[in-house]
Amino acid sequence: MLEVTNLNAGYGHVQILRDVSFKVDDGEVIAILGSNGAGKTTTVRSITGMIKPMSGSIKFDGVELCGKSSRAILDAGIIQVPEGRQLFTEMTVYENLELGAFSDEAMRKFDESLHTCYKYFPKLLERAHQSAGTLSGGEQQMVAVARALIGLPKLLILDEPSLGLAPNIVDEILVVAHDLAKKQGIGVILVEQDVTKALKTADEGYVIENGQVVLSGSSISLSVNEHVKKAYLGI
Amino acid sequence: MDIFLQACVNGLMIGGFYSLMGMGQNVIFGVMKIINFCHGEMLMVGMYLSYVFYEYLGIDPYFSLPLVALVMFIAGAVFQHTLITPSLGTKSFTNLLFLTVGMGILLTNGAQVIFSSDYRTITTDYSSTILSIGPITVALSRVVSFCALIAVSIALAFFLKCTKTGKKIRAVSQNPIGAQVVGIDTKKIYMITYGLGAALAGISGALLTLFYVINPTAGSNFGFRALIVVVVGGLGSISGAFFAGIFLGLLETLVSLFIGPSLRTLVVFATFIVILVIRQNIILRRK
Repeated sequence: MLEVTNLNAGYGHVQILRDVSFKVDDGEVIAILGSNGAGKTTTVRSITGMIKPMSGSIKFDGVELCGKSSRAILDAGIIQVPEGRQLFTEMTVYENLELGAFSDEAMRKFDESLHTCYKYFPKLLERAHQSAGTLSGGEQQMVAVARALIGLPKLLILDEPSLGLAPNIVDEILVVAHDLAKKQGIGVILVEQDVTKALKTADEGYVIENGQVVLSGSSISLSVNEHVKKAYLGI
Repeated sequence: MDIFLQACVNGLMIGGFYSLMGMGQNVIFGVMKIINFCHGEMLMVGMYLSYVFYEYLGIDPYFSLPLVALVMFIAGAVFQHTLITPSLGTKSFTNLLFLTVGMGILLTNGAQVIFSSDYRTITTDYSSTILSIGPITVALSRVVSFCALIAVSIALAFFLKCTKTGKKIRAVSQNPIGAQVVGIDTKKIYMITYGLGAALAGISGALLTLFYVINPTAGSNFGFRALIVVVVGGLGSISGAFFAGIFLGLLETLVSLFIGPSLRTLVVFATFIVILVIRQNIILRRK
């Protein structure tokens, strides 16, 4: 579905990512792991077209997306739940979700998708007409995920969903992500610092350090890897 | 008491203009985070447009209103797209300051070249029609203009609250990154928003022509008032701007009545400074 090959990217003349490669299949959850400043967010920004990569290839369903506009990438079906949620805090939850329907198709299927979102996150139905800024952090994260789902993603990117949230809420969101992949065949990229949680949800993992993929493999193999254990799991 | 009521009515009438000007300025600020220093001059352009439509084409100022709004919208959108967007890219406040102040100077002097500095007025059949309600007398054109202002304000609020484009405008002003995430074309929203601001200023100008002298510097007073309205009403708040505008209009006429017309501007700006000091504390505390 998504195949990133030898991606080099950065800001101005500062190169952050060096030859990053990974792939996501239909219905697969992959985790991109790494500490602060490793290059996780730069990876997300490159895929979503928020920055222009220096070189490399980002193929999505066989179509080259490298260097395309963020709108074109969105239209292709790659939707992100951005770091820090980036909600419209003075609008209601419903209005936030409404704005998630950016394409004609998403607008047509809005009621159906809304129903799905409320099924995954029943709390949002209760809060539908409350302004998003008044919600708790966890609920806001749910709105951000739901807003992305309304856009009918083929590939969903979750950027640091655990940031500043209570563990049980992170679990709830990760369960939804896993469910979306397994039941609806959506590809999911989980970008996380919380390696334990991420490896529990993901099928495959890629560890990024200093802008390079230093380790990759199935979640099970990574969770028993000595380096991962020492550097990220604290075992 | 009668004089007081009369002053209140007059204040309300003029306050409506400050409101609409402030709302336009506020929409622009909310979305682009820039202060539009040629807002008053855009009002002046609206006045002349209305004048031209009346004088040369014989269209009544009230009927030419949609035309003025349309012309201003297009002109504003073009100005935004060709000059403001590139300046926004430089992220330099001074560039935008020079750009909008410069545009104001250009408009004022352009009007002077085309129309000379002579004061002009529009006189229609109903210009001298006076309405008396009890002890209060007010020109019919003022009442009609005021009603039109209120209608436009409500329409604007409805547009921002309920339409798809309005929601996108609010989205961009609340969270530009979030807007990009959901695929909103921010450049297009910038154009629409600036065009909208220009149209609102133009409408204010056109509605003023029936009882205000038209001249190249007629806008500056309103431009300054619009800034006050924005700051007092709260940056980005449409309803805040509406009430701040009405408040400012009432304050002006009541000061004229009780203290004297010559001190009007002084008191208005003194109040502004006081509110600025208080509000700054509020804003700091909130952050």
